[in-house]
Amino acid sequence: MKTKKVKENLSHKRTKAKGTAVSYHLKCAKTSNGLTHFVMYGDVPKKKMPL
Amino acid sequence: MANNTRGLSFSDVDSDWKLALDPENVFWGVIPKDNGRFVLPDNLIDFYKKERKHLDSELFNFRFHEPLNCVYIDPTDRCNANCLYCYIPSRIRKHGTQMTTEELDTTLKKIEEYFKRVKKKPVIVFHAAEPLLVKDIIFGAIKKYHKKFLFGIQTNALLLEKEDTDFIRKYRIGIGISLDADMKEINNRSRITTLGKGNYEKAVKALNWFKGYEGLNVICTVTKYNVDRLSMLVKFLHKKKVPLVLLNPVRLTQERAVRLKPDDMAYSRNLIAAVDTAIELSKKTKRQIVIGNMANVVLAIISPTARRMMCDISPCGGGRTFLTITANGDMVPCGEFIGFKEFSGGNIFKTSIEKAMNSMPFKKIRNRIVEKIDECNTCDFRHICGSPCPAEMYARGNLYGKAKFCEFYKEIIRHAFKLIAEDKVKYILREDAIKQLEYEYKL
Repeated sequence: MKTKKVKENLSHKRTKAKGTAVSYHLKCAKTSNGLTHFVMYGDVPKKKMPL
Repeated sequence: MANNTRGLSFSDVDSDWKLALDPENVFWGVIPKDNGRFVLPDNLIDFYKKERKHLDSELFNFRFHEPLNCVYIDPTDRCNANCLYCYIPSRIRKHGTQMTTEELDTTLKKIEEYFKRVKKKPVIVFHAAEPLLVKDIIFGAIKKYHKKFLFGIQTNALLLEKEDTDFIRKYRIGIGISLDADMKEINNRSRITTLGKGNYEKAVKALNWFKGYEGLNVICTVTKYNVDRLSMLVKFLHKKKVPLVLLNPVRLTQERAVRLKPDDMAYSRNLIAAVDTAIELSKKTKRQIVIGNMANVVLAIISPTARRMMCDISPCGGGRTFLTITANGDMVPCGEFIGFKEFSGGNIFKTSIEKAMNSMPFKKIRNRIVEKIDECNTCDFRHICGSPCPAEMYARGNLYGKAKFCEFYKEIIRHAFKLIAEDKVKYILREDAIKQLEYEYKL
C-alpha cells in the first residue's frame, strides 16, 4: 500500500487518549448448523435464518 | 514470519478516522482525528499487547487448519445459458457430460464416508453449469440425503417451476438465483440463454415465488455493463424481499471475461453506494437486505473466523475448506479450475476425497499465500482481502500475481473500517448473526 506508515513497536511512548477510539474482536459463538462460520448456501435452519 | 519491526501500522481511513492495524493478525483500532491529528489511546496498546499472540494463533489456525466443510457438485457440465463471462469453457458447456442417478449417489456416499467422524453437517452445493438440467436427479438425492447434509442450489432459474419452490422450502434448501441487473436489457446482455434471450423474466418470476424465503440469495456478477446499477438492483431486490445479495466481481478466468472487467474505482464507488442504499432501506423499512461482499469484509476485520466467503482469505478456500466435483467425477480445488485439467486432484469414482485433498494440485493452491505475492506481502490489508483469485491469476499467466481487483479491495476495506467506526455494523450483518457473535475484547 502507498499509505504513509509509521511502525509502532510495543515500547511505543504512551499518550493520553482523546476522543472515542474503536477496537473490538468478536468470536462466532454458534451458527445454525454448527459450522464455525456463516454460510450462504445450505444453511437454512428449520425456523429462522441466521445469515 | 519473524519480523523484528512488527507492530501497528498507521494509515488514513478518511479525513475523520485514523487506522491502527497489525497486518499480521488484523488487530485493529480506528481513532478519531482532530484537525488531522490523532492521539493513540493507552488502552489500545494494552489490548494489543494482551491479544497479539491469541490473534496470531487464531488467524493462523483459520488459514491453515480449518477443515473441509463444503463440497460443490456440478451434476452436469452442460448449460442452457451462455453468459459472457462464464468460467467454464464453452466446449465443456456444450458437449460435457452429466451424472447419472447412480453416479451422484456414489459421489454423495463418498462424501458421507469422508465426513463420517465429523459432527457438523457438511454443506453440498449443486452448482455450475446449470444444475436444474438434471433436476430430477438432484431432487432425488436431496430427498435421500437431507438428514446427512445441508443443501444449496445455484441456478439461473430458467428451468425452475413453481412446484420446485415448494420442494426447496420443504427441505430448507439454500437457493441462489443469478441476476445481474434490475433492468431486463442490462441483465440479458450478460446473462444470455442458448436461445439468444436472457434469464431476466424467469429469474424475477422465481424471486416472486420465493418472496420472504430465508434461504434465498441473489448472485450478481459485476461487469462494466451493470456496475452503475448496483444500488438500483439492491432497491429492486429489497422490494422482492431478498435477504441477501452478492455483488461479485467478474472473474477473469476466461479471456472473454477480461473485456468485461469494471474499472476498480467505479466498482468500489458503486458497491459503497449500494451498501448505503441497503443501510437506508434497512433503517426505513426495518427489513434488511445484506450485501454479502461487504458483510464478509467487515467480518474479516471484526471476527475473521466468522467469515464465510472463502475467496477473500489467504490461502483461499479452494482445495482447503471446499472443493468442486465435476460431472465426470474430477475433483478440482474450485469450480474456477474446471478448464484446467492439471488441477484435478483425482476422480471421485476412482479415488477418495482424502487423496484429492492431499494431491499436489490442491497443495499448490493452498500454498498460494499472500506472503509469497509481491506487493501483497507488504500490504496492510493482505489478510482482509486475501488477494483472490488463484484460478484467475493462473489463467492470466502468473499464479502468484496480485489480485486483479486490488485497488477495489483497498477502497472497500477502508470503507469497511469507516462503517465500523461509525457503528453501522448492525446494518451490514444480519441481525441474528450479530447475536451469535461474542466480544472477546472491546475498547
